[in-house]
Amino acid sequence: MLMLPEIIVVLTAGVVLCLDLFLTERSRVILAPVTLLGLALGFAALLVTPQTGDLLGGRFGMDPIAWWFKVIFLIAGFVTVILSMDLLDGRAAHRMRGIGFRGEYYTILLSTIVGMMFLISARETITLYVSLETATIPLFVLTAWRRDHVQSGEAGLKYVIIGALASAFILYGLSILYGLTGQTSIVGMSAKLADVPRPAFWLAAAMLMTGVGFKLTIVPFHMWAADVYEGAPAPVTAYLSVASKAAGLAFMFQVFYRIFGSELAGWTPLIAAFAAVTMSLGNLVAIVQDNIKRFMAFSAISQAGYLILGFLGPADNGVPAMLFYMLVYILSNLAVFACIVWYSNETGRERIEEYRGLSLTNPIMALGMMIALFSLAGIPPLSGFVGKFFLFSIAAKAGYNWLVAVAAVNSTISLFYYLRIVRQMYIEPIYEGAGTLPVRYTVAATVGLLSLAVALMGVIPYFYETIHAQTITWLASLIG
Amino acid sequence: MTEFLAQHTPTLTHWLYLSTLLFSIGLYGLLTRRNAVGILMAVELMLNSAALNFVVFNRFCAPATVDGQIMAIFVIAAAAAEVVVGMAIFVALYRYRGTVDVNAMDTMKD
Repeated sequence: MLMLPEIIVVLTAGVVLCLDLFLTERSRVILAPVTLLGLALGFAALLVTPQTGDLLGGRFGMDPIAWWFKVIFLIAGFVTVILSMDLLDGRAAHRMRGIGFRGEYYTILLSTIVGMMFLISARETITLYVSLETATIPLFVLTAWRRDHVQSGEAGLKYVIIGALASAFILYGLSILYGLTGQTSIVGMSAKLADVPRPAFWLAAAMLMTGVGFKLTIVPFHMWAADVYEGAPAPVTAYLSVASKAAGLAFMFQVFYRIFGSELAGWTPLIAAFAAVTMSLGNLVAIVQDNIKRFMAFSAISQAGYLILGFLGPADNGVPAMLFYMLVYILSNLAVFACIVWYSNETGRERIEEYRGLSLTNPIMALGMMIALFSLAGIPPLSGFVGKFFLFSIAAKAGYNWLVAVAAVNSTISLFYYLRIVRQMYIEPIYEGAGTLPVRYTVAATVGLLSLAVALMGVIPYFYETIHAQTITWLASLIG
Repeated sequence: MTEFLAQHTPTLTHWLYLSTLLFSIGLYGLLTRRNAVGILMAVELMLNSAALNFVVFNRFCAPATVDGQIMAIFVIAAAAAEVVVGMAIFVALYRYRGTVDVNAMDTMKD
């Protein structure tokens, strides 16, 4: 019962792959609805799944943190399927060459989603490693999906090399931890870590931090992100920027809170330094970007910098704040990417100045994109502001006032470059002869619902309070 | 000869030297090779050094269980999956670029 959402998603992957075999090319349009149905069923199963408990002798565990992460992964997957289907079904006005193979695409997408869901529930090093690989290896394939496109293949090459390097570091770190403790279960490892030799412990911690840094695009391990995001097909970029980042955070939670739990206090100066460098570099480089997907890559890097501020404080403040910010971030980012994918489908344009005049041709889409961009920049009363407020206050409580100053300056810088897009949409002259671009109802509903959620989650305290209350009860059982 | 070998079995430290050496060679290869396939082989070395670590630690630190050996098997399987995906991407790329030299992979720089 606890594993029901994962089982449903895996079964959907199998069903989609088998259906693909028996369908004719024209009737393959039903594959996307089948995938969506599977994800919706998985979500429904998640709603009725008990929020605590474990399976398989404690190797698979469920708690409110894992529950919220699974919500995040399923939402990200669901929206990605909606964004992909116009492109894959050939309904886009601007056809991309070398994209197709719908059944395989959805199967691979579903398998990375299920890998991420297992990742946050893993309570065992072996499960943790295998689910991490299940989550990342399909992403390499998705990145290189456009077979005859130079940049897509190049992005795939870079991603596969960097991804394999990151997992090598993670694996070596885990092997040292195994050697130090003689345990593969996370609880057993964490219990024995207090009296292991320090140099070896720090070596393992540094290796794990390096690997996680690659996944979460923390400077100086970020350099792959820009090229991979730019080269990948736009819906895959959307998925990479939200789900892959959420999976990185999930892995960081596993490592920091479950394995290194008691040692976290000694890490804070290092994390503060990483956060400061990450947000500054991401923001400064984003200013000069031209391609919107590359621009969103640097924006995502700077968001990762804000995100890890939550590790500075005690877990009972940090965990809910980071979860809430992650939820807000994926909703805002997906809304932005829904507009990017739609605009690129309709016109083939991906440069920032090519967004000029969008507010005159498609005012609703422009409004949705503006709300989401403002939320990413952290303008009150949108939810991005609330999320950042919680994270900054954790840093301030931990005594890192200089870091809060850096973060505030960075928020201002980020407002400047997010406004660059808004300016193109609202102030710059329209393309000559440009008419209203058609918007399919699925895309319109996605953008509408996401931007509405982004606007409301900041005003209605229900979400944050629920996350806070649920994670507190779990953390109390872990600490006390 | 057998007596000599029986008296000089490698200890944990020796195995760790070996795995660290493998990891370092892999990292060096990753940074210096220009052919993407060579880079993938270097990454394989790094993954295998970690797998070696698991087996060795299992033998010397927790001989009552087999967790480390199981982990090594999974590492081999995951590494194989990684190589399959990597090689597929490289082959697709080679078909229209005619090269998998990583120095030529700069079409997206500004």
